[in-house]
Amino acid sequence: MASTRDIRRRIKSVKNTRQITKAMELVAASKMKKAQQAALAGQPYAHLLTNMLAALAPHVSDQLHPFLARRTVKTRGILLITSDKGLCGPLNANLFKLATEIKTPAKFYSIGRKGTQFLARSKRDLVADFPVQDRAPFSEVKVAVEFIAKQYLDGVIDTVEVIFPRFKNTLVQEPVLRPLLPLDNLREYLENSQRHGGVFQPDEANRNQPFEFEPDAKTVLSALLPFYVNREIYQFVLLARASEHSARMVAMKTAKDNATSLVGELTLQYNKARQAAITQEIVEIAAASFSAA
Amino acid sequence: MALTLEIVTPEARVYSDTIDTVVIPTTAGEIGILPGHIALVAQVAEGELRVTKDGKQLILAVGGGFVEIDRDKISVLAEQAINVEKIDVSAVEIALKRAQDALKEKSTLDPAQVESLEGVVRFAFAQLSAKRRGR
Repeated sequence: MASTRDIRRRIKSVKNTRQITKAMELVAASKMKKAQQAALAGQPYAHLLTNMLAALAPHVSDQLHPFLARRTVKTRGILLITSDKGLCGPLNANLFKLATEIKTPAKFYSIGRKGTQFLARSKRDLVADFPVQDRAPFSEVKVAVEFIAKQYLDGVIDTVEVIFPRFKNTLVQEPVLRPLLPLDNLREYLENSQRHGGVFQPDEANRNQPFEFEPDAKTVLSALLPFYVNREIYQFVLLARASEHSARMVAMKTAKDNATSLVGELTLQYNKARQAAITQEIVEIAAASFSAA
Repeated sequence: MALTLEIVTPEARVYSDTIDTVVIPTTAGEIGILPGHIALVAQVAEGELRVTKDGKQLILAVGGGFVEIDRDKISVLAEQAINVEKIDVSAVEIALKRAQDALKEKSTLDPAQVESLEGVVRFAFAQLSAKRRGR
C-alpha cells in the first residue's frame, strides 16, 4: 500500500489540477457566452441571405456569374475551420475525421492553428493558412475568403467546401462538410439539410414568375454572390468559435468533476492508510509491553 | 393586402412588421413599393428607408445591402440599420470625423479598408440627413 505521504502528495497535485481546470472552465464559460451571442445574432441574417439566393438560383442562368457554373471537378478546395488551442474535447478530432475521409485530389486551406498542424502532419496539400483572432473580426475572415475565391476563379480549385463544427447547443457540436461553391446545387443542399432539421423554408407554391433585377442581373449578382460567400464563411467561423468555447467549457467541467471525485477517492485511501498505520503501531506497542511483562 | 417588411443586419433583426408602403434607397435610385409589386432583387444603397404604416411614417437609416421582394414579402439585408429616433447625432459626427480623417491618408490604406471607410462615411451622412428630416 502506498505510504500516507505519497497519497497526500497526490491529493495536493490533483487539487491543483482541479483549481486550474476550474479557472479554465470559468474563462471558457464567459467566452462561450459572447461567442454564442455573436453566432446566434448573425443567424437570421445568414438564413435570410441563404433563402434569398435559394429563391433566386433557379431563375438565373449559370452563365451570368462564375460562382454559379458547375464545372468538372478535378481538384476540390476544402477550407478547414478549427480552433487555435487544444483542450476542447473531441471537437477538432471529429473535424479531422471528416477531412481524412476525403480521398479525391483536393487542396486545403485552414483557419485555426490546430487544423494547420493536422494538415501538415497528414501531408495534405495545404495551400494557405489564415490566422484569425479569437473574436473573429470580419476583416480577417474576409482576407481568407477572398484568397480562396480567387483560387476558385483562377481554376486552381473547382469546388469550395467548408469543414467546420456546427454549433447546435452547448453540449452538441456537429462536424459538417458544407459545399459552398459552385452555387448551382444550393437549393438541393438546402432541401437536404431541411430534412435533417435545417431552417430552410421552401416556397409554398412553385413560383414560375421570374425575378426582376435593379439595375440589372449581372450587376446585382456580381455584388451579391461574393458577398454571400463572405458572409456565409464568416458565419461558419462564428459558429466554429461558439462550438470551440462550448466544447472547451464542457471538457473543463468534466475534468473538474473528475478531479473532485479523484480527491474523494484518494482521501478515503489516505484515511484508510492512516488508520492502518495507527492500528499497526498500537499492536506493536501492545506486543512489546506484553513480552516485557 | 398588406406588405410584410423585414430588415435584418448581421447584428440583429432590426424591424419586422406588416406595413402599407415602403420607399427603399437603391443604387439605381429610390424605389417605392406597394402591395402587388413584381418579384425584384436590388442592391440597397446607404440612405433613408421610409416606412408607412397606418398613415404614420417611420424613417430608418440603412447601410448598403440587398433587398428581395417576393409576393408582398420584403426582405432587406443591410450592413447597418437604425431607427431615426435612436440616432445619436454627436456619436455619428464623431464616427464620421474619424472615418474622414482616416481616409485622408488614402495612399497608405489598402482598397478594402478604403471601401469600408467610405461605407462608414456614407452611412453617417445617411443617418444625419434622415435625422434632420425626421425631426
